[in-house]
Amino acid sequence: MNVRLASREGLLTGFINLCCILLGLTGLAGTMVGGWFHLSSRQPGAWLLLLGIAVWGGVRAVRRVPDPSRNKTLIAGLVAGVMHGLTLAVSLWLISTLLDAGAEVRKWLVQLTPEAIRLLTFGLSPVAAAALMFVVMTTAGLVGALWVRASERYPWQRTLSKGPTTVRTRFLALPAVQNFMQRKHSQQILWGGGLLILLFFPFVLGQYWNYTLGTVGIYVILGLGLNIVVGFAGLLDLGYVAFFAIGAYIVAILTAPAPHGIMMNFWLVVPIGIVLAALAGVLLGIPVLRMRGDYLAIVTLGFGEIIRILSKSDALTDFTGGPRGIRSVGGPGLFGFDVSSEFYFMYIIILGIVLAAYVTLHLQQSRVGRAWMAMREDEDVAQAVGIYTLQYKLLAFATGAALAGFSGVIFASRNKFTGPEDFTLLVSINVLCLVIIGGMGSIPGVVAGALVLKGLPEILRQLADYRMLAFGALLILMMIVRPEGLWPSTRRQMELHERAEQSGEPDAGSSPETGP
Amino acid sequence: MAMLEVENIHSYYGNIHALKGISLTVEEGEIVTLIGGNGAGKTTTLRSITGILKPRQGHVRLEGEELAPYKPHQIVYKGVAMVPEGRRIFARLSVSENLDMGAYSRNSKSEIKADLERVFELFPRLKERRNQVGGTLSGGEQQMLATGRALMAHPRLLLMDEPSMGLAPVLVESIFEKITEINKEGTTILLVEQNALMALSIANRGYVLQTGEIILHDTAEALRTNEVVRKAYLGIT
Repeated sequence: MNVRLASREGLLTGFINLCCILLGLTGLAGTMVGGWFHLSSRQPGAWLLLLGIAVWGGVRAVRRVPDPSRNKTLIAGLVAGVMHGLTLAVSLWLISTLLDAGAEVRKWLVQLTPEAIRLLTFGLSPVAAAALMFVVMTTAGLVGALWVRASERYPWQRTLSKGPTTVRTRFLALPAVQNFMQRKHSQQILWGGGLLILLFFPFVLGQYWNYTLGTVGIYVILGLGLNIVVGFAGLLDLGYVAFFAIGAYIVAILTAPAPHGIMMNFWLVVPIGIVLAALAGVLLGIPVLRMRGDYLAIVTLGFGEIIRILSKSDALTDFTGGPRGIRSVGGPGLFGFDVSSEFYFMYIIILGIVLAAYVTLHLQQSRVGRAWMAMREDEDVAQAVGIYTLQYKLLAFATGAALAGFSGVIFASRNKFTGPEDFTLLVSINVLCLVIIGGMGSIPGVVAGALVLKGLPEILRQLADYRMLAFGALLILMMIVRPEGLWPSTRRQMELHERAEQSGEPDAGSSPETGP
Repeated sequence: MAMLEVENIHSYYGNIHALKGISLTVEEGEIVTLIGGNGAGKTTTLRSITGILKPRQGHVRLEGEELAPYKPHQIVYKGVAMVPEGRRIFARLSVSENLDMGAYSRNSKSEIKADLERVFELFPRLKERRNQVGGTLSGGEQQMLATGRALMAHPRLLLMDEPSMGLAPVLVESIFEKITEINKEGTTILLVEQNALMALSIANRGYVLQTGEIILHDTAEALRTNEVVRKAYLGIT
């Protein structure tokens, strides 16, 4: 029975490996590793990836063995290795034979260059290469099995998943930190210090990083807003981009020379954008907030699309610039100086984040925050303890929309342009993702989430075509390893841990979602 | 004047005529029970009183004042609290936070504190577990918490929807003892129950509900010996 499971794992990982070869990921790994270590050959990197996956197959196979004795472990690893090796050896033989026969494989598989195949065959004949592949992969499966035995002595996985939390608690328990925290103005000093460092940042960063981190910052403000709606009040809003768009279009219409030529001062437009976006939030909120859960998500999704489609509709072309958008959006000036470069915008964004975080924090800790919390947990009961849910929902929607409007104003003014394609559904999804990845309901989590979601793609640029693939894989990995988010609020952390401790016991009566 | 006066209410779910002219009164200091089978309209009656469902016809009066113009949350401020069916505690909040939420409608910190003491006195178990997350409590403890949460609103009228649901007989007994205790301290109670025997043993009066209509109304004593009730709801022939 275990043999079957083990061979299945071997086949599965073998198939994954095959996909890597066919998609050219092995070649990419070769280039990258070669680049890091200044190697002339791409072979080490390519084989590192192949072997890594094969070893992983061995590990997975051993995990399937219920009570692993030493022999069983080795057998499982061997079986997985053999199956893995067979898969790859046969495929390799097939591919190289086909290539030798002059088949036009590249028509379908662009990455399958003769050079890529040579990385794997070392220029041997198809049969010899296949045999070599088989032997190596079988060994790798065995290594995987041995790895499991070794790693049982040191539970590194648990350390990895608990690591960040442990580091934080340990740090907070240090005597020096404790002493500092007990001082009178420790909080203020900490915030002030952090702010000073932040203010210093734009000087150090070049134009490129000021722009990139500025985008991250805009997403932080967006995230803080959506965090109020989704994280605090528990309303799933998939059309959040609409308010972002409203902010952007307001600044564009009011400051650009065309199509209206109003050309107002940027600083006057900021409050107008915020207020109008909040108003839009209320106007949308009144009809839709009677819906719950999935229905609300769908309706807001529709609203987001309506705003985007309206902005590029023919009927409104004179007003919004239509599909071409609005150019030469005005930037901020200060006492006659133009301060609209990336560098100055960084300060405006930092200021915006600080303000948004301050507002969010205050709301969270107030009576309003408590009402949101009750609503998120159980709307009916919230009503039954005296909370006027409609009012608090509107407030959450309006606050979230105001922050989105604000970031929209900054966004359009910084880009000096706004157009319908800046406000696709993807923006809403991105913001929602960053809130979830950071940790729902957590303010520092939003910052962490934005850095990962908007910053990571920049860092992954050297992966070229595979950037988004790696990004997606990383996101999945992150949610598996830390489902509570990167920097969760203490509450959510508590929930997940409590749940883990009482796993197995069905928690009766704790399903508030199943309303009448 | 009656604490609660329900007069000929008709409530609907869409086109379904759920309550067909219910009338009942609850005098101050009483425990009144509303018994009946599944789908009789017991919960619907409570929902109509708390304003979550607005009756299309008829009146609900609290100490003579018409409740129709008020929204559900405003009715809480009038002094009506509810222990919902299936407990519905805030599963992810701690016991203290749950109780704290119950006092949302109130402002005086000292009064809230006094009521918290009262709840902890009534349910010492909650005090022991005050930092525990609600969802991890046992069924009986969750019922205590739901009751405590409603008491934190300092209601004059407490509506309880099937407090015995899903609890072991021993726990049911202890919960009903607590209900009597709460009543003795001056809270009027309207108790909806399927467990008719238990409900009638602590109530002053009872109403029997069937498919949206009240078919019987008497003192609890009389209902316990009533032939129809015994057959239909007490399982005694």
